[in-house]
Parts: sequence; structure tokens; C-alpha cells
Amino acid sequence: MATTDNEVKELIKREYEHGFVTEIESDTFEPGLNEDVIARLSAIKKEPEWMLEWRLKAYRRWLEMEEPDWAHVGYPKVDYNSISYYSAPKRKEDMPQSLDEVDPELLKTYEKLGIPLHEREKLAGVAVDAVFDSVSVATTFKEPLAKAGVVFCSISEAVHDYPELVKKYLGTVVPQGDNFFAALNSAVFSDGTFVYIPKGVRCPMELSTYFRINAANTGQFERTLIIAEEGSYVSYLEGCTAPMRDENQLHAAVVELVALDDAQIKYSTVQNWYPGDEEGKGGIYNFVTKRGACIGKNSKISWTQVETGSAVTWKYPSCVLRGENSVGEFYSVALTHNFQQADTGTKMIHLGKNTRSTIISKGISAGKSSNAYRGLVKFGPGAEGARNFTQCDSLLIGDRCGAHTFPYIESKNKSAIVEHEATTSKVSDEQMFLCRQRGIDPEQAVSMIVNGFCKEVFKELPMEFAVEAGKLLEVSLEGSVG
Amino acid sequence: MKSVPMLSSAFLHPAGHSLPEPLLALRKERASALVDMPLPTRKTENWKYSSKYLKLADDMAISLPAEGKTGNSLAVPGYKVVFLNGVMIPEASEYPDLDGIQITSFNDLDADEANALAARLGHTLDHAQAQFARLNGARFEDGLLVRLKAGAVLDQPLFIIHETSADASGSAYPRIFVEAGANSQLTLVEEYTSTGQASALISTVTEFSLAEGANVTSVRLNMEGENVQHIGATGVRQQRSSRFESHCVGFGGPLRRHDLQVRLEGEGAETKLNGVVVTQGKQHYDNHTSIDHVAAHCNSEETYRNIAADQSHAVFNGRIHIHQDAQKSNADMNNKNLLLSNGAEIDTKPELEIYADDVKCAHGATIGQLDETSVFYLVSRGIDRRQANVLLTMAFINELVEQIPVAVVRETAQARLSDFFEQTFREA
Amino acid sequence: MLSIKNLHASVEGKEILKGINLEIKAGEVHAIMGPNGSGKSTLSQVLAGNDAFEVTEGEVTLNGENLLELETEERARDGIFLAFQYPVEIPGVSNLQFLRTAVNAMRKHKGEAEMNAAEFMKLAKEVSKQVDLDPAFLKRGVNEGFSGGEKKRNEIMQALMLQPKLAILDETDSGLDIDALKVVSDGVNALRSDDRAILMVTHYQRLLNHIVPDYVHVLAGGRIIKSGGRELALELEEKGYGWLGIKDDDASN
Repeated sequence: MATTDNEVKELIKREYEHGFVTEIESDTFEPGLNEDVIARLSAIKKEPEWMLEWRLKAYRRWLEMEEPDWAHVGYPKVDYNSISYYSAPKRKEDMPQSLDEVDPELLKTYEKLGIPLHEREKLAGVAVDAVFDSVSVATTFKEPLAKAGVVFCSISEAVHDYPELVKKYLGTVVPQGDNFFAALNSAVFSDGTFVYIPKGVRCPMELSTYFRINAANTGQFERTLIIAEEGSYVSYLEGCTAPMRDENQLHAAVVELVALDDAQIKYSTVQNWYPGDEEGKGGIYNFVTKRGACIGKNSKISWTQVETGSAVTWKYPSCVLRGENSVGEFYSVALTHNFQQADTGTKMIHLGKNTRSTIISKGISAGKSSNAYRGLVKFGPGAEGARNFTQCDSLLIGDRCGAHTFPYIESKNKSAIVEHEATTSKVSDEQMFLCRQRGIDPEQAVSMIVNGFCKEVFKELPMEFAVEAGKLLEVSLEGSVG
Repeated sequence: MKSVPMLSSAFLHPAGHSLPEPLLALRKERASALVDMPLPTRKTENWKYSSKYLKLADDMAISLPAEGKTGNSLAVPGYKVVFLNGVMIPEASEYPDLDGIQITSFNDLDADEANALAARLGHTLDHAQAQFARLNGARFEDGLLVRLKAGAVLDQPLFIIHETSADASGSAYPRIFVEAGANSQLTLVEEYTSTGQASALISTVTEFSLAEGANVTSVRLNMEGENVQHIGATGVRQQRSSRFESHCVGFGGPLRRHDLQVRLEGEGAETKLNGVVVTQGKQHYDNHTSIDHVAAHCNSEETYRNIAADQSHAVFNGRIHIHQDAQKSNADMNNKNLLLSNGAEIDTKPELEIYADDVKCAHGATIGQLDETSVFYLVSRGIDRRQANVLLTMAFINELVEQIPVAVVRETAQARLSDFFEQTFREA
Repeated sequence: MLSIKNLHASVEGKEILKGINLEIKAGEVHAIMGPNGSGKSTLSQVLAGNDAFEVTEGEVTLNGENLLELETEERARDGIFLAFQYPVEIPGVSNLQFLRTAVNAMRKHKGEAEMNAAEFMKLAKEVSKQVDLDPAFLKRGVNEGFSGGEKKRNEIMQALMLQPKLAILDETDSGLDIDALKVVSDGVNALRSDDRAILMVTHYQRLLNHIVPDYVHVLAGGRIIKSGGRELALELEEKGYGWLGIKDDDASN
């Protein structure tokens, strides 16, 4: 069935939906990075001295580091002095006190992206922190959350309002010198989200941050810190989009999660940064360090990611399982198309007794893209009775793409057990024939089969986003059947 | 820039100049290209887990002399070639003159043969991944050329016994080049043993070039002493419908490394790689395999098992690379590991790199300990726990050992492995 | 309804069908019998439009319309249903989702409104009982981890849901025990109606005890070499394919 292949290939063409630019006046730094720039950034945010010192320390570490080149991706070297490290929409006051004071252009932007921020139309049951370029522009549902004792605000606010918590935890999971991009982020992070769930509290609603890159030639460096105290629970979701631009833009985020005894954090990402055009021009470089520390016993951190965007992705949401009986999970769907490149996976570091982890990774490669799973499962000498199960499946659509699997498995404890399985396949002619024989369009058939392939991961997403993720996949694959 | 340790220049001075001129010239050329060879470190991806075991002192650069007694090896039922410290010992070797089959020491090649060999020596290997094959290329003092003409069949296995005799520190660089003509057939056994107690390095290269329809079975038995660091590389290139089968059994040492690279270049070629590794004490063993599916319709099947006891360290890195036009490839890789002690370490990295869509590829890896229920079952039948452990550990690898097609090697391996496990589970 | 004239088809350059002629009218049940390798499965695959087979000569019309011009899914929407000999698995796609997508594709084609989820669920549950499948199976992936018998029953369930004009059953009896055979046959018999035709492809006559055909054709070497009524199948069973001068490895059955 030679034509099926062509049909499948054809299915993968479609315009990026979120590629518009918001016309808004911004305060933007001149491109370039040095200690003065960092000092200016810190001054604009009226940060305390310790914060500036922390940034400068990271910057000095960064200067000594080399950009990593081990990932299975290739891109022209980034000139870090050609990037602007701060861009924020102009506004009257320093912080919008209420949504009424937020620039209507911004509200319109988020509405267009399907994220209404305004009181009347807020997403039911989901609190949103909207980050536009370098700053947080609005956070919804603050009051009901505050009533439950939950802190949900931008990290800039947290530095002012909760300095002790920030000082205590910032950089403890991802140290300043952890890697090249984390060091850069530590020096120049402009905003991001801070979440604190007090002891015994089950966060009453989904929390989410919506990241939008708008300005040209700027980098986005957000920093997220989530702390779940003893016995608490939170489900957090982030979404990301950017305009279509011919130049590549850098996004280097750091996310740190801390789970204490019996706490649970569920972190979901639907990443749809601009992937570049059909010729591979433009798109976001998504170089992200995400790590969670299960410090407490019986704690659990679960990462779920649906990655369909970005020109280049370098991202390994990880869990350090220190507490006894703690659990780490990683569920991932990564779809690459055209010239996209993804090198993504996870690290599960088992240090404590009876720690358990599960990795389910589904990679879909189409067009001329390259999609790699890279993972580390490590059992330290103290990981008595620890368990890991890993399943990595790759689906290839077309014969000019690549699907790779690079799992590192290291064990120093005899009672630990790891099982790793990986398979590679394609949408088979027989599956296509069965669907078509039952009257189903080839396009719909491919999308159905690919969605089925990803099902184990989608079922981990919060309900409202599982549907969105399925649609996103459909959109990304659309046009691949003629 | 941080400074990177380099291979000491002491290692770049070959001894033994009785090789034919073209091979001497080749060796010289390779030596000069080695001047800037960095030594692998923790940051070197393909030596990540093993660089710390590599200990090259300048006195080990000296070529071990090809003198002394030989004979510490298998009683061989087939044909035999003995190498002592990288040089062939004709007196100890026994093989007949067979029609269509040439078995010749590099030192005995005539100018034409040497020229032809020089043009192909090293062509089966990716030297970027097998760095030490470059060192062998700069240092080999002898080697064995095995050539089978089209249709030639070697009626009995050919044993190549590599003995390292290390009464003083030094190194040896044996080399084998096998050219299997169309539809020829051969079973080759390489056995590595040692005598003496001085620290030694043995760097080996074995190459197999399989023409259309050739059928080659390679058996490799690695049993050198605790004083010998062994770094070996095997390169295989397979043409259409050829079949290659490899059985490696390795016992740990201070440093043990084997790189096995197979390129499936003709349609319908098949390869099967089996490997067993056992380590105890503070021993180490690192197997790096790589299978390149270059042509369409090829099959590969790989099964490796490692067992690490005490404070030992076993490493497996298996790579399958399906090239863009290698449609209808089948590749299956499986690596299972037993970790018998909390001081021991096992690292495994089964990699897939796939650029063709119509393929069936899978890999699986596990690390665990002996199944407690099975141990209990045996104990409940009156077998003592130590014996139960030995039996079950043996069972874990025996499935692979059983497949070794040469009885004497299979039996030797089984006996050695059994002794090894008896020792592993010795009474505390 | 279906008219096949001098149909030739080949796969990978090898001719399998060498001039098939067959007329099937609405309301009729035809059985095609033949030894392994005679071209039975090829015929059903060609009618359903599998691109792996190339039609080199001849014509096929469905109610006067040239079938060979149509894509697989267009043929399906025009009422051709193939019950596969080896139903393929589609991991992660539930039977329910699959069937609903198919049913709605058909309805859309006919200009009917799509069925809503509740309506559909009700219908699907009823039909699943008809073929003795636990409704819980609707939530499982298409054929994922199904036994051979479950796969065959699932095929018949799909036919009952999609209500085709021409149902082609490719070795639907193979691998079934006697109870499952009964269930499957009851399902097929429920499909029989005046405006629908059924084409059964089978190696053995035992299926024909349960689904009694109006016509029986013997296919050998890519051609129909003999046609007759029900009695032809019985005669074949008694005498074996050898009776017609055909070689068959499994003719002992």
C-alpha cells in the first residue's frame, strides 16, 4: 500500500495557530549580558540584595561553563549577547492590582489563546498565572486560593512577600551551577510562578501558568518553584506559545519542585512553542531544566508532558527520590515534525528505600525531524527494594525522520529491580486498511491511531487538558494525508 | 580549556620490524596519527563507566617479548595457531594446507599480499568508537591473515590461542584479519589467556570481512589474569546474505573491554551476537557493541547477560543504528543483568538510532537479583542455599553458553563459570 | 448488485486472480470455496480495495457504479464490508471510539446526522450482546489482546453496526470452536435480508452448515472452475478438492 505512506506524510502540514503578534508597547533591554544588565534587571524588580548576589554568583559560574553538546540535536551556536534579557509590556503601576488594570490588549491576547483571564469568563476550576515575555501580567483566583492557605503568585512577588521560603528552597533542587542553561536562568530569570501548599492542604483547584513569548529577539527565562508541605496535594499545568518569527528565540526555564512527607505534586505541561516553518526557519529553542525532589517519605512527583512545539527541545523533567517509599513518574508524548529536533526524557534518581518510578515515553517523528528519548535510571547503594519500569515507544511517520532511544541504567543496589523496554514501529498499512475499510478517512485514521499510541500518557493529564492535547496532536499531524 | 590527559608518547614506539614493508609503512603512518590521542576520561561518552579502570604506566608501553613457554591453554580438537605476546609461534601451531584456504602470519606475507592487506587493514572498524584499535594499528608486530576463497569450507574450527606472558611489565598487540569469500564457511575460536604477574596491557583487533553468502562463527573466550588489562576490538562487515554469529564469554579483570562492531552492508545479511560476562572481587568488564543496519532486509539479534558480584562492575552498551535506506530491518536486543551484591555495580545502555520507518526494532534491559521464590523452591527441596544460588546463577547464563557451537569451548566455559560461581557464593 | 467481469489481479508482479466472473444479486448468499493459495483472500482484499493488490484487467461494479475507481473508504461508505481473516490490532484506540468514528463517517456520507454518544453506546451494547461479547470489551483497544474467537466476533459485530450492502466474510470460521462458530453464524444470519448480499470465503464446508448459501463456487488457480448450489459444497466435503483435480495440502478435512 504505497500510497498510504504518502498520505500519512501529507497529513503533517498545518499552520501554527498561535503565531500572531500582539502590538503592545514594551520596555525592552538592549541586547547583551553582563553584570550591569543583571543589576538593572534586579533593580527594576526591586529585589533585595541577597537576590542580586545570588544571580551574580550564578552568572559568574555560567561564564566558566560550556554549552552542552551531547544531545542528539544540532543548531547554530546561540550568541548570548544578541539576546535581550528583559522585555515587559509598559504599564502605569508596577504591579497590576486587579485584572481591571491589565492592558486590554493583553487580555485580548490570552482570550485569543483560549485562556480568558477576566473575572466573568475565567476558566472554571483552574487558576491561571499569565506570564507575558519577562513578567507575570495577571493571576486569577487569588482570593479563594488564599483562603485555603495556598500561595499562587509570580516568583517576583514571592521574593518580596515570602523571602524566607524562597531563600530556603530556591536552587536546592536545581543548583545554580547544575548545567549551562540552569546557570544562565539563575542569573537572568525574570519571572515565573511560585506555589506554596501548606501542610495537609489539598489545593482546591488546578493551578496553571500560561507562558507567552511576544517580543522579538528576547529570551524567556522563567523560574518556577513549587513547594508541597507535608500531606499536601497540588496539580499544576503549564502551557506555552509564541508568535511565528523567522529568528530562533531562546527559552531557558528552570522548574523546581519540592515534596515533603506524604505530599504529592502533579506537574503537567502542554508545550506548543512555535516550532519553526516547513523549511525549519525560526522557532523556539526550548532548553529547560525541570527537577523535583521527593524529600519526604511517601511523597510523589508526577511529570506529564505533551511536547509538540519548539524548533529544538532539550528537556529532562526528573525526580530525585530521597524519601522512603517515594514515587516518581514521567509520562511523555513528544511529537516532532518538519525540521524539529527533540532530545527529551527523564532522570529517576533512586536514593531512598523502596522508592518506585515509572517512565512511559511516546515519541512520534514525522517529516525530517529528529526525536530522541534520553533517560537515566539510577539506583544508589541505599535504594533497597527500589523499582523502576520504563517503556519507550517510538512511532515513525515517513522515512526521512529519526527516532532514537538512549537509556542509561545504573544500579548499585542488588535488591533494586529495573525493567526497560523499547519498541519502534510505524502506522502500519494493515491498520490503515482496516480503518479505511470501515469508512474512516485516512486523515482521521492516522490521527486516531496516533492518539491511541499516546493514550497511556493522555490519561495522566487533567481532564480538560487531555482533550486539548489530543486536539493539539491532531492539528500537528493535520495535512499529512492528501 | 581544561587539560585532557593524552596517551603517553612512550606507547607510540613500535618494536618488531620483521613485518613486510607495506605493513611497516602503515604502522608508522598510524603511529604518527596517534600523537594527539586523548586518553578516555569520565567525560568520554563511550568510556564513561570504565575510564577509571584504565591505568597505563609508561613501563607498560614496552612490547612484551615473544619468548617463553606456551601451552597453558585448551586442548584443541581442531586447527590451532598460537600467539605469544602478539607474535605467532609457528612451532606451537598446527594447521594443514587446505585448498582455497590461506592461514599466514603477517610476517610471512609476500609483497603483493602485504600490499593488499595494508589497503584493507582496519576497514571494518569505526576507530572513533574503538579508540584503542588505533593503538593496535600503530603497534602490531605480527598478525594472522585467514583467507577463504569462494566456496571454501574450513572443516574444523580454527583456534587462535593468544597467550600473554608477563614476567615484566609491558604490552602486546595481536591482530587477526579474516577474509571470508563468497559462500565460504568458517568457525574461529579466539582464546585469551595469560601467565606471569607483572602488569600488562593487551590491545587486540580482530576483523571479519564476509563476502556474499559467507557464513562465519566467532567464539571469544576471555580468561586472562588479574594483572592483565584487556582492550579488544572486533570489526565485522557483511555483504549480501552473509551470516555472522558471535559468542563471547568473558571473565572480569582489572580492566576488560571489548568493542564489537557489525555493519550489515548487503541485503539479507544476518547477525547474531551472544555475550556472557561475569565479574567478582573488584573486577571490571565493559562490552560495547554496535550494529549498523546499512542495507535493507537485514536481521540482527543480540543477547547479552552480565553477572556482577562482590565489589565488581559490569557494563553493557549496545547500539543499534538503522540507516535511512535500511527498510524492513529487524533488530532485537536484549540485555539482562544480575547484581549479586550491594557493593557491585551494573550499568547498561541499550541504544536505538533509527532513520528508516518500516522496521521492527526493540530492546529490553533488566537489572535485578536472583528470584527469591526460585531460591526458596530449591531450598525447600533440600538443596542448600549456597548451591541453590550457584545453580540459579548458572541457569541465568547457561541458555547462552549452551549455544556455543564448539563443544570443547562450551564445556570449558561451563566448567570455568561453575567454578567462578562456587567461588562467588563461597561460605562467608 | 455486484458484478465481476474477467477480473485479473496480481501482488508484487505475481498474478493471483486470472479472470474471475461472478454476479451477486441482492438477498443472495454466495460461498466461495477453494484450497489454500487459490486466490480466495485476494478476491476479498481486491473487492475491499487493498492497494497491495493491483488490478490488471477486468471490471467490478456495485449497483452499476465502477468499484475499482473508488478509494477503500469510499467503497466502505457505499456498503462494502470486509470481515478480515486476520483482524489487526490498533493499540490504545477503543472499540467504541473506532466504531463510532466509522458509523458516523457512514452516516455523514448518507447525509444523516451523527449519532450522539449515549445513543451510540446503547446500540453498541445491544449488538455486542448479540455476538456474545461482554460490553466491557467496548472500552478495550481494537482487537488488542483479543483471542482469535473474540476477534472474529468483533468483526461480525462491526458488520451488524455498519449494516453493509455487501458483506464479504474472509475465512470467518477459521480458528473458531463449535460454540463460537454458532455465535458467529447467528450473527451472520441476522445480517441476511432481501436488500443485502453476503459473500463467504471459506476453505471448509462446515460454516455452510450454519449459514446456508444459495450458491457455491469453487475457486482454483485464480479462476472459478465450478459453480452450483448448496449440494456442491457437500460433494466437495465428501470427495475432497482432489475430486475436481485440484491439489490441496489440507484436503483431508
